[in-house]
Amino acid sequence: MIELRGIEKSYRRGSEEVHALRGIDLDIGKGEFLSIVGPSGSGKSSLLHILGCLDRPTKGTMKFDDLNVEHMPGAGLDEIRRRKIGFVFQQFYLMTGLSVFDNVALPGVFSKEKIDAEKIAALIETVGILNRMSHFPNQLSGGEMQRVAIARALANSPEIVLADEPTGNLDTENSERIFELLRSLHLKGYTIVMVTHNNDLACRADRTIRLKDGLQVV
Amino acid sequence: MVFLRLAFQNLNRHKTRSVLALFGIATSVAVLFSILSFNKGFEKGLAKELERTGIHFMVVPSGCPHEVASLVLHGSIIPKFLDLAVMDKIKAFEGIEFGSPILVAQLTNPEQKRVDLVYGIEMAKMMQIKPHWNIEGTVPKDDREIILGSEMAGHQGLKVGDTITYPNVNASFRVAGILNKTGSQDDAFIYMPIKAAQTIFKKPSGATAIGVKVTDPALLTKITDGLAEQVPGIQIVTMNQVMSSISTLAASAKVLGLSIAIIAIIVSAVGVMNAMLMAVFERTQEIGMMRAIGAARSDIFRIILMEGMLLTMTGGLAGILVSVVGSDLIGLFVRRIMPYAPAGSMGHFDPGIAGASLIFAVLVGICSGIYPAWKASRIQPIEAIRG
Repeated sequence: MIELRGIEKSYRRGSEEVHALRGIDLDIGKGEFLSIVGPSGSGKSSLLHILGCLDRPTKGTMKFDDLNVEHMPGAGLDEIRRRKIGFVFQQFYLMTGLSVFDNVALPGVFSKEKIDAEKIAALIETVGILNRMSHFPNQLSGGEMQRVAIARALANSPEIVLADEPTGNLDTENSERIFELLRSLHLKGYTIVMVTHNNDLACRADRTIRLKDGLQVV
Repeated sequence: MVFLRLAFQNLNRHKTRSVLALFGIATSVAVLFSILSFNKGFEKGLAKELERTGIHFMVVPSGCPHEVASLVLHGSIIPKFLDLAVMDKIKAFEGIEFGSPILVAQLTNPEQKRVDLVYGIEMAKMMQIKPHWNIEGTVPKDDREIILGSEMAGHQGLKVGDTITYPNVNASFRVAGILNKTGSQDDAFIYMPIKAAQTIFKKPSGATAIGVKVTDPALLTKITDGLAEQVPGIQIVTMNQVMSSISTLAASAKVLGLSIAIIAIIVSAVGVMNAMLMAVFERTQEIGMMRAIGAARSDIFRIILMEGMLLTMTGGLAGILVSVVGSDLIGLFVRRIMPYAPAGSMGHFDPGIAGASLIFAVLVGICSGIYPAWKASRIQPIEAIRG
């Protein structure tokens, strides 16, 4: 589904040239549960950004469903994100003025689809917070907010869910629950890529990619 | 609908900032709406009042047309007099139904240490010129009786049947009637038979103006041209000229007012733009997140623009509401600053003007929202993820 070849990413931070990725080759197949792990500054977030079509590589090629995306214009990347990718962020990024239902429905609004209330409710049920459907984010716990974010990531029936430190803001118990939720989605057929600091969780994925200084290490 | 809710949510997040921006827009729209409404009300009222005067033109000594306009409607003081010989010539002219001399002058009232305004006219003609007047009491039957404007009567606590004395001109008058409040300058005068006015001002055959009614209005131009040719030292002012003269004054005031309103609107539009730019900068992550989950640049542009429109539309509605509620107060202000204002309320609610003001407010919202919306639409999704 995703094919990366010789991916390099560098950017300037003040007068310094930062080489975040120094040549990554990676294939992600449909239905995989992959974790990317590494210390801070290892390039794992940069890799996730490129996988998620949020950023373009400085060098190398990337194919998403056999489409070359590295030189694709912004609108094309928007479309891939909208149709094929679901994002889960460490900080949840829920819209405070919208209910759980509306937050989950938001990607559908951006893809100009008619809102399917039953589907949204089913997604909210999948993440186990159906009783919180009409609540607002400030009425939810951290774990519940992340569940909403996961339901939102699934709203457009994506081919892949990219989770950037999804348990980074949660306690151990909630981290475990969120991980189990991601695993259950994987069992339902979703492709999951999770970036984490947490080695214990990373090891429980089907496959783990370890990064150090922008390079993949065994 | 969700976009609208998002826009509302963003405005609601910083209430003080939104309310301040809204206040600016509300104030400027209130000024704009008031000026347009009052101008329309003023012109309507003026036309109505001129229609009611029952005369076709005024003959006055040569002078300033604005003075004449003021005199025709409410009797301002012109320190020039027509000789009543002029009156005879006018009456003798073909096509004249009647001519009514008017003498307007100031009369010192030593008892009250005040100067009263006297309007002398043949009382029967007065009721023809002012048919809309409501008088408590009766119209004066002889030269020793007068009508008081409501303000005049109120100030001195005079009632029908009371006597008012002017020892300096050795005269006293019985109050035959009191004019019900008209809301115009009419309220400030003492109306007396012209003969009495001529006696106390020692102008036995003088008049400030002569109001003339013609038998056939179609012949008006012919008559006025003929009179101007044959009677020297006079100026003829038709009701249309009065209307246009006062309208010119009102239009000048309107231009001045609109200039102030436009400056206020520009200032408040800059305020709206500033508030929205600040909000965009603060929401970089949130906007980036929306882009990450599939929002196109145009979606972000629409949400921010909607915020601007929502803000200015609410401000516009508030401004119009305040203007309608405070129309009496604004009316009082207009009467103070304008040399002439028609009787009755000028601030009628005009849906057309309200709609136009609201559309204008929304346009201001669009103009001040374009730059923040463009700026927001340029935010890259990666900025949200990097944090």
